[in-house]
Amino acid sequence: MQITKAMELVASSKFRKAKDRAEAVRPFFEQTYKLMAEIAAEDPYFNSQFVHKRTENEAMILVVIAGDRGLAGGFNSNVLKIAQAKIDELKAKGGNPVVMPIGQKAVDYFEHREVKILKAYDHVAEHANIYLGIQMAEEILDAYKRHTSIQNVEIVFTNYVSPISQVAQSMQVIPLTNLAGNHPRKCAVEYEPSPEAVFDKLVPQYVAGLLYGAIVESFASEQAARRTAMENATDNATEMIENLSLQYNRARQGAITQELTEIVGGANALE
Amino acid sequence: MTTFHFMIVTPDKILFDGDVQEVIARTTEGDVGILANHTRYAAILKTGALTVKMENGDFRRAAVAQGFLKVSDERTTVITTAAEWAEEIDPDWAERSREDALAKIEAAQNEPDRLERANLKLQRALNRLSVSGHNTGTVQPPKKK
Repeated sequence: MQITKAMELVASSKFRKAKDRAEAVRPFFEQTYKLMAEIAAEDPYFNSQFVHKRTENEAMILVVIAGDRGLAGGFNSNVLKIAQAKIDELKAKGGNPVVMPIGQKAVDYFEHREVKILKAYDHVAEHANIYLGIQMAEEILDAYKRHTSIQNVEIVFTNYVSPISQVAQSMQVIPLTNLAGNHPRKCAVEYEPSPEAVFDKLVPQYVAGLLYGAIVESFASEQAARRTAMENATDNATEMIENLSLQYNRARQGAITQELTEIVGGANALE
Repeated sequence: MTTFHFMIVTPDKILFDGDVQEVIARTTEGDVGILANHTRYAAILKTGALTVKMENGDFRRAAVAQGFLKVSDERTTVITTAAEWAEEIDPDWAERSREDALAKIEAAQNEPDRLERANLKLQRALNRLSVSGHNTGTVQPPKKK
């Protein structure tokens, strides 16, 4: 019981830190996305390999973000279930899924499955920073540029909704299909050196912001899930101890009563 | 002097959000100065110094990493992976990260990707040292052996 209580407290303190980080990255991500959307909207003939849709049902890169540890309720299995469903779906169509697992639990899971691993990361979430996101973004974009068979890049992570609700979900990273539709207005902007150059620099920063955001969001969710799981475990243990103490005391009282009855009975028989 | 709304956004925090008179930034094409009512503009920022003339006329300097400068009608925004005001930079920490970057460059001689990342890290450390006034020498990364 002390163990579960201690884990609950550790999870709460880690959770608070992680939640602050998750909130801090949002404006950065939003501003990057907005600038990208504006460039795409500017030019109706705008053309970038990251915006174009490629042929379907070939290869896909799936970034799966799970935790490094267990004992967090359904946190890890919810993420892995969604990821596995995506993989099965693509395989059924004859496609070729490639996975980038993040977190020890995801790495362990995919080690023994028949999927290709792009690169595995474990024990990075707690001390993640934007440069880790940039490194991952570069690896993913490199693979995307090199292999035209990769139709899209998706990410599976856990969205933090509230202290008691964390939702595992998937999201498309690339191609940026609905980018141009968001800002239909045309606004004459000067780009240096050129709109294409600015856009190409923006894409890695966007993907990095997205990945880093998803990692800290998932980490906050993991801590919240663990806190709830450990709180329940502590409550259950307390209840069990109470019930068992009651049963024990009853049994003890029963035994004492029994002995007394026997002594009194014995004494009476002698008279 | 006319002021305009300016923001510095990083993944860790919003470093600045307020009205300023002028912003001088280092883009890949050279230094640019932004005054109020500048035309809509966007450029790629290099790791370098950012100078801001505050509402009261004081100048403040900040070290910024790679990112973007964007001027729209409502505001001017710097979006960057890291930014610190000169007076808030810890020179010891910057020095340690410079040494760390040099060690990483040494270790990554045969891997272009890692070398590139280590070089960028070195540039950030040197930029912080130079902006905080603790420049220890060359701002150029060492040449590949």
